[in-house]
Amino acid sequence: MNDILILIGRSIRNALRQPATIIPNIAISVFFLFVYNAGLNSVAKLPGFQGSYLGFILPVSIVSAAVGGAGLAGQTLIKDIDNGYFTKLLLTPTRRLAVIWGPMIASAVILTAQVVLVMLIALLMGLKVASGPGGFLLVVALAFLWGMAFAGYAAFMALKTKNAAAAQAATFAFFPLIFLSYTFVPKEYVTTGWLKVAATINPTTYVFDAMRSLLNTGWSASSLGVGFAVTFGFATVTGIMALWAARGATRLAS
Amino acid sequence: MTTKGDGADRSIRAEGLRRRFGKLDAVDGVDLDVPGGQIFGFLGPNGAGKSTSVKILTTILNATAGNATVAGYDVQRQGGKVREAIGVALQDVGLDPLMTARELLVLQGELFGTPRDEARKTAERLLKTVGLDDVDPKKRAGAYSGGMKRRLDLALALVHDPRILFLDEPTTGLDPASRAAIWEEVRRLNDELGMTIFLTTQYLEEADRLADQIAIINKGRIVASGTPDELKRQVGDEVVELQFGSREDAGRAYDALAPVAPNRQAAERELRLYFGRAAENVPELVRALDGAGVRLQGMTIEQPSLDDVFLRVTGEALEHEVDEAAADVPEVAEARS
Repeated sequence: MNDILILIGRSIRNALRQPATIIPNIAISVFFLFVYNAGLNSVAKLPGFQGSYLGFILPVSIVSAAVGGAGLAGQTLIKDIDNGYFTKLLLTPTRRLAVIWGPMIASAVILTAQVVLVMLIALLMGLKVASGPGGFLLVVALAFLWGMAFAGYAAFMALKTKNAAAAQAATFAFFPLIFLSYTFVPKEYVTTGWLKVAATINPTTYVFDAMRSLLNTGWSASSLGVGFAVTFGFATVTGIMALWAARGATRLAS
Repeated sequence: MTTKGDGADRSIRAEGLRRRFGKLDAVDGVDLDVPGGQIFGFLGPNGAGKSTSVKILTTILNATAGNATVAGYDVQRQGGKVREAIGVALQDVGLDPLMTARELLVLQGELFGTPRDEARKTAERLLKTVGLDDVDPKKRAGAYSGGMKRRLDLALALVHDPRILFLDEPTTGLDPASRAAIWEEVRRLNDELGMTIFLTTQYLEEADRLADQIAIINKGRIVASGTPDELKRQVGDEVVELQFGSREDAGRAYDALAPVAPNRQAAERELRLYFGRAAENVPELVRALDGAGVRLQGMTIEQPSLDDVFLRVTGEALEHEVDEAAADVPEVAEARS
């Protein structure tokens, strides 16, 4: 366990040494929160809408921060591979899992810190969390898991392509996921058939649901259960994909 | 010299090691037997298979066939054990440019299971060893010069007092002063700590000065091995080098000298003739050249070098070190032995 903690610490320290890798992502998620809330908050006046629009749109800001911030894990791995430090780590008794998951967990931790910051800003903007402090923490926990899921995907792409630009582009491929869902208005108000289908198969929908229930309507076992199960499943799949890609990258490396 | 299985094994052994990349056998059946405590020189030109061999022996590359043990452990099946016993400085240094030398050394120590306080002490000691202790502690590795990076990389390979040290072309691209410093350190590690050192190099001088045993690798195969003296004696005890005005003259002389010096190699405008005792043969040489009407421009008698050995076993010259001695010698071209 010690080796993974050491490597998480190293990745976080390096990220803090390059604030430019983090700040734009925070700025964009806060920007999203402001403009969507300002432009669309009359949605909350629709009949049947529960809670505040701020609570409704905050998950969109959080999830897009995860997609934007996921690149960090991939970039760390690619830089390590390029400057030979990856090989240096493989020449120590450190487990391969720690070498790959260290940067992934670090990127999810950094994302979680960003999410807490964005949520505090939302509280200052007048957000009332329907499920209270416990719900606040669960939203943070969901954000962490979601961050792990994307970090796994980014690490997978990084190890497969070994190319910074390709890995970065691959994370942007996930941006449509944010919008192929009930992103701006509640489910009841979406009538386009194909978007409903897309939203149903899109895991993002269930994360939005779980976070929105905690923020706007209070405790809902079904929303939470599905949201956590989908996110955990997603994170598990990408985490294993990253390790699988690492098998190829570690012993077949030139 | 070695004791197997008691944690003190310092040997390196390989049998039929092979690594294929596509259709190319980068390493093509390499056998090694390096007893503990030796400095072993693995000598060969670029692309001969030196680095690939090192990567297999240090567990970061799988062999296509064959097997190897390092410190008594199988490199394929006991990778973790092998990595605990070895220190490795590859040809391409592996440094995180955002970290300082101390941070890198402490982290490396911790990854080898050393408690942080102890890792800090080791870091200070190693920085002194490699002569980086007076560098600004806040300076990140990314801002280091090439030579400093190389020295830091060497220090990283030593954090856990390895029994065996792999150095892949440790001095390639270094200035003479840095090179001398690394040589001195390699010799000290071997003398004082009894560390086995597996050193790859394309510099003959380096292998000659440092190595107890040498293996010459070319196109993935070991083409000669032995102590530097044994290898040199294979070509003869003394060399007469003849210089001519043109390649054609050298060619004619090569033919004319066949009866006098059966053991000879041509290189550009030079011939190198190998004898047990050179001086005895000089009058006859001069007569033979006279007879053939070839004008001699110069003659020197010297000891055979590893270059002669290399030329002989591979038919190709090794890259020369760019120094004063090498600058005087014209590039050695295709041999016609």
